[in-house]
Amino acid sequence: MENDLKDLEQAKSFWFADWAFPIIVGIMSAGVFAGTSMYYNYGVGAFNEVAIVAMLKAGMTDGAYGAAAAFGASFLFARVLEGSLVGILDLGGSILTGVGIGIPAILLSVGFEAPVKSFPLALLTGLIIGVVIGGIIYVVRHFTIGQSKATFGADVMMGAGNDTGRFLGPLIILSAVTASIPIGLGATAGAAIFYAWKKPIAGGAIIGAMILGFFFPVKL
Amino acid sequence: MHILIVLMESVIIGGLVGFAAGVGAARMFNAPTVQALGAFRTLGEMNAAEGDAASHFSFGLGFFFNAWASTVGAGAFTQDVTHRVIPNWAVSALLLRSKDMNESMHNPKKMGIMSALIGIVVVAFLNVTSSSIPAALQVTAVKVLVPAATLLINMVMPIIFWLAAIDAGRRSGLLGTIFGGLAALIMGNAVPGVVLGILIGKGVEEIGWTRITRIMLGAVILLFILSAFFRGFDVDLLKSFSLSVPQWLTNWHSSMGG
Repeated sequence: MENDLKDLEQAKSFWFADWAFPIIVGIMSAGVFAGTSMYYNYGVGAFNEVAIVAMLKAGMTDGAYGAAAAFGASFLFARVLEGSLVGILDLGGSILTGVGIGIPAILLSVGFEAPVKSFPLALLTGLIIGVVIGGIIYVVRHFTIGQSKATFGADVMMGAGNDTGRFLGPLIILSAVTASIPIGLGATAGAAIFYAWKKPIAGGAIIGAMILGFFFPVKL
Repeated sequence: MHILIVLMESVIIGGLVGFAAGVGAARMFNAPTVQALGAFRTLGEMNAAEGDAASHFSFGLGFFFNAWASTVGAGAFTQDVTHRVIPNWAVSALLLRSKDMNESMHNPKKMGIMSALIGIVVVAFLNVTSSSIPAALQVTAVKVLVPAATLLINMVMPIIFWLAAIDAGRRSGLLGTIFGGLAALIMGNAVPGVVLGILIGKGVEEIGWTRITRIMLGAVILLFILSAFFRGFDVDLLKSFSLSVPQWLTNWHSSMGG
């Protein structure tokens, strides 16, 4: 009996309450934004797919942040809308892509470098952005909850998102083939071995290409 | 010194991200009554391996190797670190102590704390090992991954999302096509437009033209107009139709710093 009461009390606590949601999003965003800061400074640590990080990288090399900014910001917008309606905020689209890539790209494109370059500032910036996003969802949710049972095509988008991952393996092999013959062979063999092991072939293709690229280096 | 900074920052980042990923994932099992942070694929996969510590661990391990390769190659963790590795390893660790779901996978507090610990270890490991790799490997990675990634982002992803929009019904197909084409022109990538097309198309199909869907459509149009302005698309558009750019528009752009 005492345990039941305790459970009920817990249901209203930080761990389950809606008011805690902005804080959780804030913590996540702080870490992810700081990860992007680390990528900016040291070239490692961005919490996203190679393909999406490559857009930010393109901006860092030639100053054209438009693609990363528009891609990230639109994803953030779409996911915030969807998240408040379906009850699960998609971590990948909203925080990893929106906050981790889109917002840094917007800041860098207007020359506002400090929040991305400085690690403590990046933590703070991420925290504030996350709390704001979580707060927006909290508000939207309280206005729309119970009004509709629509999924807004979340299933369609999830399906398409998962299909995309499957294309990366073959694409990596095709691109390895154009880099050099040894790297192409390495990627093909690596992918085949991973496939036989029932692992995603993209990983095998990358490792195979790397091993052969180490022994038979190519110039950039 | 360089490695020490990377290590310290990684510990902080890993702790924060791990904690939030763990709490968010555990809350998913209580959605939609509790607002959660995660992904549908994470929910499905965690349910699929439910109750078996070894399944959760090996599932995470497969993606961990993939993430490691990607981090060594391009400095990118992949989204799997937060979606798959951290949550599944946290469940696996908790299951060793208790087989009760309410004491492990469904418990935000326990998941948060365990995920924070795992996040610290995973992020620090990935960053430290990959920031000290030979240059030949990095060159290979750039030569192989960047072209593949560019193709994926600019061609493959838009096409997959586009076809999904077309298959999802007439409204999402129509809106996806219109917004997709415009997004490719204005934002340089069609995916955001197609996603918004699906969102509104399916929304209208499911609940009709209510206040919510109308506000959404308005917001999307506003988003397009603002993106077009800030990327200078309006000026380029007029120029490519051999029209003169009005002085007030040029002034507007220069006053906004664009």
